[in-house]
Amino acid sequence: MSEAEVADEHHDDHGEAHGDHPKWLQHHWDTPAQQFDAAKIGMWAFLGQELLFFSGLFVAYAIYRTWYGDAFAAGSHELNRTMGAANTCVLLFSSLTAALSVRSSQLGKKNETTMWIVLTIACAFIFLIVKYFEYTAKFHHGLLPGSAFGTPRDMLTFQPIPGAHSPAGELPDHTHVFFSLYFVMTGIHGIHVIIGIGVWAWILKRNLRGDFSKRYFTPVDVTALYWHLVDLVWIYLFPMMYLIDYVAPGHKG
Amino acid sequence: MTDPHDDHEEYDKVENVHGVVPPPPREDHGLGPYGADEVHAHIGSYRMYFAVFMGLIVFTLLTVGVASIHLGRANLAVAVIIASVKAVLVCTFFMHLKDDNKFNSLILIAAVTFIGVFFALTLNDVAYREKLDTQSGNRVALESGDKAPGSWENPVKKEGEKKEGETPPTASGVPSAEKSPHPN
Repeated sequence: MSEAEVADEHHDDHGEAHGDHPKWLQHHWDTPAQQFDAAKIGMWAFLGQELLFFSGLFVAYAIYRTWYGDAFAAGSHELNRTMGAANTCVLLFSSLTAALSVRSSQLGKKNETTMWIVLTIACAFIFLIVKYFEYTAKFHHGLLPGSAFGTPRDMLTFQPIPGAHSPAGELPDHTHVFFSLYFVMTGIHGIHVIIGIGVWAWILKRNLRGDFSKRYFTPVDVTALYWHLVDLVWIYLFPMMYLIDYVAPGHKG
Repeated sequence: MTDPHDDHEEYDKVENVHGVVPPPPREDHGLGPYGADEVHAHIGSYRMYFAVFMGLIVFTLLTVGVASIHLGRANLAVAVIIASVKAVLVCTFFMHLKDDNKFNSLILIAAVTFIGVFFALTLNDVAYREKLDTQSGNRVALESGDKAPGSWENPVKKEGEKKEGETPPTASGVPSAEKSPHPN
């Protein structure tokens, strides 16, 4: 951002109550830079917590994969790689649009910011819709966590489907462990996507209201940081869940 | 009203939180009323963002392709390495760590370091649970049948037995408490 642009803009959006303390600058901060840095550090601390939180599941995954390698390979082959790869691309694209929404808001381009946020939310919905179809197929095949494994069930009512075929009996022992981890890890990731949609919707509303400017775009920035973390987790989940030992399965796929 | 910024003369020059005296115009630097304390974010170019995105797509295709090559246990390592390259791209460029306050990078590095500690200690524990503990003299080896608390029975070695959780494993003589580390 050029210095001239800042100078042109800096009287556009001031609150009046406290001298030059603009509305968006909360009273406990001395300067915009201090508020911005504190918000970013706070968000990064939260993201660090998120990584540590997910790492527990990844450690569990590592242990069970070393114990039940063939079951993990067999379970992985029951997943739909095409849907997984497509969802990966959708989420990567949404990360791009999220980053570009920050860029637009840094430049004070409100309409562009709106467009990128809407695209990000749209990608999040596409991701969840694909995930819904994947989950439904797994439920109908009885590929469920724990003791539910082997009983085909309806996705929404969770009632057993009489007469439906389940491949569970042909899979190696402990494949249910793979599906326990699959549903917990992708499920918690999916909850993060849903929360992300809610936060983006709020940011979209604030952007349309004109809350953001070249001088103040922090909420867009930290929301995008959260969204990139959701993308980061999926970057690891995709190969670990969908791509185990693809060409040479220990059991029939 | 007391001034909370007695020890921050540099702030008092550029702001006036009490509304007593309007701040002097800061035409000299042209940066707005907060001068050097305005937010100065680095703004990346469209070209950079799209290049990073294309890189991420290429690495995604690469990880799908590599999964079709049978490398044994190395498959997981390769997948994790490719995923980590993608993660570094996202953190560095999309999450602005390249041009950001370095403290934010430190938070990320600290978190990743402790995840490494978490993995190392847990996997080490799991890998050596059933070996002889020479220090205490406790046999935790599977063959002896004399297991230390928390020791783990390799399910691969008991292929012929029933699925866990179906019946109490009385036939094998393994105490039922042994089942506790396993999920259902």
